[in-house]
Amino acid sequence: MMTLLLVLSLVWPLCVAGSAIWHAYRTPTAQVGYFSLLWISAAWPALLLAYVGESQWVIDAWMLGGLWELNALSRPWLAFTALLWSLAAVHARGYFKTEQSKAQAGDQDAQRRLIRLLLLWPLTLLGNVLLIIAQDIASFYLGFALMTFAAYALVVHSGTAEARMGAKAYLILAVIGEGLILGGLLWAAGEAETLSLEGVREGILLADQGVWMATLLWLGFGVKAGVIGLHVWLPLAHPVAPAPASAVLSGAMIKAGLLGWINVLPLGEPDVSASLVQLGNIMLVAGLVAAFVAALYGVFQRHPKAVLAYSSISQMGMLTALVAMGLAAPEVWPLLWPGVVLFAAHHALAKGALFMGTSISEHLPRWPLPLIWGLLALPGISLAGAIGAGLISKWSVKGPLYEMHHETLTKLLTWAAVGTAALVSVALWRQWQQRHQGGSNQWQWGAWLVAIIAALLTPLWLPLPAGSVALPPAKEWLGIMWPFPVGLALATLGWLCLRRSHIKAPPAGDLWWLYALAVATMLAPVRSFGHYCGKLKASSVVKTQRAEATLMGYLTRLLSAESWMRHHASGLMMVLAVVLAALLMWEGQR
Amino acid sequence: MNAAWLPLTALATSLLVTVVIFALPEEARKARTIINLLAAVAKIVLVILMVRRVAAGHEDVFSFQVVGGIDFVLRADALGVMFAGLSSLLWLCTTIYAIGYLEGSANRKRFFGFFSLCVASTLGIALSDNLFTFLIFYEMLTLSTYPLVVHSGTDKALNAGRVYLRYTLTAGVVLLLGTVLLYSLTGEHSFSSEEGLGDYLNDHRGLLTLIFALLVGGLAVKAAMVPLHGWLPRAMVAPAPVSALLHAVAVVKAGAFGILRVIYDLYGIELSVELGVTTVLAVAASITIIYGSLRAIAQTELKPRLAFSTISQVSYVILGVSLFGPFGTIGALAHLLHQGLMKVTLFFCAGNYAEELGIHRIDEMDGAGKRMPLTSIAFTVGALGMIGLPPVAGFITKWYLGIGAIQAEMYWVVVVLVASSTLNAMYFLPILHRLWFRLGPAHGKGQWPKEQRLGRLETHGWLLWPMVFTALASLGAGLLAGMPFSPLDWATRVAIGEYLP
Repeated sequence: MMTLLLVLSLVWPLCVAGSAIWHAYRTPTAQVGYFSLLWISAAWPALLLAYVGESQWVIDAWMLGGLWELNALSRPWLAFTALLWSLAAVHARGYFKTEQSKAQAGDQDAQRRLIRLLLLWPLTLLGNVLLIIAQDIASFYLGFALMTFAAYALVVHSGTAEARMGAKAYLILAVIGEGLILGGLLWAAGEAETLSLEGVREGILLADQGVWMATLLWLGFGVKAGVIGLHVWLPLAHPVAPAPASAVLSGAMIKAGLLGWINVLPLGEPDVSASLVQLGNIMLVAGLVAAFVAALYGVFQRHPKAVLAYSSISQMGMLTALVAMGLAAPEVWPLLWPGVVLFAAHHALAKGALFMGTSISEHLPRWPLPLIWGLLALPGISLAGAIGAGLISKWSVKGPLYEMHHETLTKLLTWAAVGTAALVSVALWRQWQQRHQGGSNQWQWGAWLVAIIAALLTPLWLPLPAGSVALPPAKEWLGIMWPFPVGLALATLGWLCLRRSHIKAPPAGDLWWLYALAVATMLAPVRSFGHYCGKLKASSVVKTQRAEATLMGYLTRLLSAESWMRHHASGLMMVLAVVLAALLMWEGQR
Repeated sequence: MNAAWLPLTALATSLLVTVVIFALPEEARKARTIINLLAAVAKIVLVILMVRRVAAGHEDVFSFQVVGGIDFVLRADALGVMFAGLSSLLWLCTTIYAIGYLEGSANRKRFFGFFSLCVASTLGIALSDNLFTFLIFYEMLTLSTYPLVVHSGTDKALNAGRVYLRYTLTAGVVLLLGTVLLYSLTGEHSFSSEEGLGDYLNDHRGLLTLIFALLVGGLAVKAAMVPLHGWLPRAMVAPAPVSALLHAVAVVKAGAFGILRVIYDLYGIELSVELGVTTVLAVAASITIIYGSLRAIAQTELKPRLAFSTISQVSYVILGVSLFGPFGTIGALAHLLHQGLMKVTLFFCAGNYAEELGIHRIDEMDGAGKRMPLTSIAFTVGALGMIGLPPVAGFITKWYLGIGAIQAEMYWVVVVLVASSTLNAMYFLPILHRLWFRLGPAHGKGQWPKEQRLGRLETHGWLLWPMVFTALASLGAGLLAGMPFSPLDWATRVAIGEYLP
């Protein structure tokens, strides 16, 4: 039964993609229902699979040997990922309504864009599901690569210049990330002679060079997870992607980087080497820096989705810091990891709801304003930790840290939540400024409402190990909730102070522009060297050809000597005979 | 029981076809096609028989003495059968393709005659059991390929043919010199003998190194290693099926296969490591890999870009050979097959674009995915495989090469592999972007350079189906690499034979 469901959850997205293409080409233009119920159902088998139970599959014929598993970690991960994908698909059905009617009216561009999305959305989903259940390197890498490259179509969907730019940044960084991951996996797997992710963890733990393997993998997956310095694609890609695509990008796909870390880094191993602990500390600092700096940079953004992208970077910074604790303070990891999963799941759904909310505020339904804006704000408030699942997920990571006496980190995380609060307030403010009336439909806001509810109730439906998550004790509530009002107040205060002065908003993508400049400067000498080499080659070819021609000239002249020899053949023969005779005589005399 | 007829018949099928084709008149199109296809299928059956014999532990030998001390020997061993399998499978595919490609053009008798001869020589190279036999077929390959390269008869083609002959004939002389030196040192030396040349190490170290340099130097020209690669990009003027065969199995692979034979079966891997030649070879291969990729980026036409990609990819085989250890060997052998399948797919696609739409330059490919979806999907599969992304076969070999490099403690090789993957992505992903994401004539923007409607489907069926088959094969070889008799499985079998005698 479970095996059937597993096969279904992997094959179903493929079938969905196939049938979508089939219908798009076979039915007359005016009748194509692009976002059919079948298409929406792509993630349902996977969602069901997560709730059936734990299991393991070994498939020898699959690539380098397949090992797939639903365990305590991959089950909840699959659950929240598949749920978000399902909701985003429903949302997409409403979101693309206008584009669909354009396509049905015969707009070729819209048709092309929609067909592309219909095909590559399920493929991206397939990659995401595969990488979660995979426990062998090849399947994991396959899932990761499939997800990464297929998602290009989601980012570039609208085809505008900004979209192409964002997609380009996404792709360049993705290729760099794939390279780093490949290097790290090869190194670790080669040293340990293993084909499973567990083997990689052990290999990194035992090898002398383990810290370098871990660094490569940290940075490689860090491209997805938005580690500071490698995060630049996020604020460029998110504002240009359609809202449902941003939702899965920010909710599910960047979490794949996080899952990659948890899968390959030796977290929570008691006898971890000193250098790995050092790496853990570096990760910790990088994570905290990202958490704060992204918040500071993000509040100045104009586009609500750019603000939300910076919020994602900030949140992933916190998660980076928490994962780093698995290396820097291994004893805390067994208690901490369920909290990390809950944190990730809650962020996935809440961020998904926030991104879907951006499309709601652009097409406001005719509801009472306070209700809409209250609903729009809810996931943000929860994300800052003031209500619902946010409160519990904050406690589920802070509790273990308190228990193991890491008060400084908990304090820093709490302050980082102030940044989160400020960011979501600014995002909401920007949405208010850019609001539009009308045009939304029940699919759009239905999925959004379910996402909000799912985000607020995350601990109730997430299949975490029993007893790993608890409600915070009453006296701790205030300590978790205070960042939201403070953040809100800070944002308001900042707005009041800066209202008069006209500061230009810093460009989204911050360091990207610096990198682009650096690469352009570096390429100039390379290019001139290339020109020089080309000239050198051309001139040497010319020289060689000239030398060859001269040589052939000599040879030809030698050939002309032949006729002279033919002419004087008898005389020459005579000379030869005389010389031979003389030689013989000389020989005889000795 | 020795089935001496088996290797001989396998060789004879292609040779006989050559004779028959030359005997038939130019107009006998149908008869030629039928004979060609029947022979190709028969050869595949024979090779499957050989595979089963080898898997059961038999090695069939056919031999006779030419002059005293020099024998002509054919032997079906695991490594040879592997190459023979690739050669016969791709012969069928390229023949079908060529029939469609050359429909209605002139000089088809000459073309198919030499085509069969070329394939016959590859099979001979695969099955030859000593250097003498190898050399005969190697030179036969050189000469039989020339008419194919210059087939169109234009000035450009003739020039390319001249360059090709200059390179390969000079290399042949160098190879001959090495062979003669080796025979004068050791006498007859079978590839299958267990001893290797280790006995001569103490007295003739310098000479052994010199012979190695001559042999590998001669072979490296066909394997298109930098700086001996100059002929390959020019040979791109040949018709698409020839390019496909040239790059996937015939010429380039013959060189790589020869180097495999020299290192594993003539010298023995231990002796090669002892002489220190493998490190030199690894460096040379790495330079070739990076240089080929860099030059490929600079190309603006499709076929030259693929040609430089071949230069880079074939050196993966050499790189794998020069890594001491079973994983490197498995990677090298599997890549021999995988690269063949993927590259042949890419060249079929390039040929289809050129035939159907007149596309030669990369910037003409905008939006071709809509006009020719199957071709473009096949191209995508091939390109992703070249980058080394799973689940295409290229990932499997890249993985084994990387593991092999780590186990041989040559960490810089991993850097080369990763850099090469990135460079591959840099020159293949833009093409894929053009195919699928840009607007072009298929969307009503501009015109194809020279559009023909060759078939009911996106192009002529003879051109389409071989390409679909090889694309599926390259996907299957990666996705189901764990199956028995997959390229990876067979490569593992050969490698175990090399390292655990």
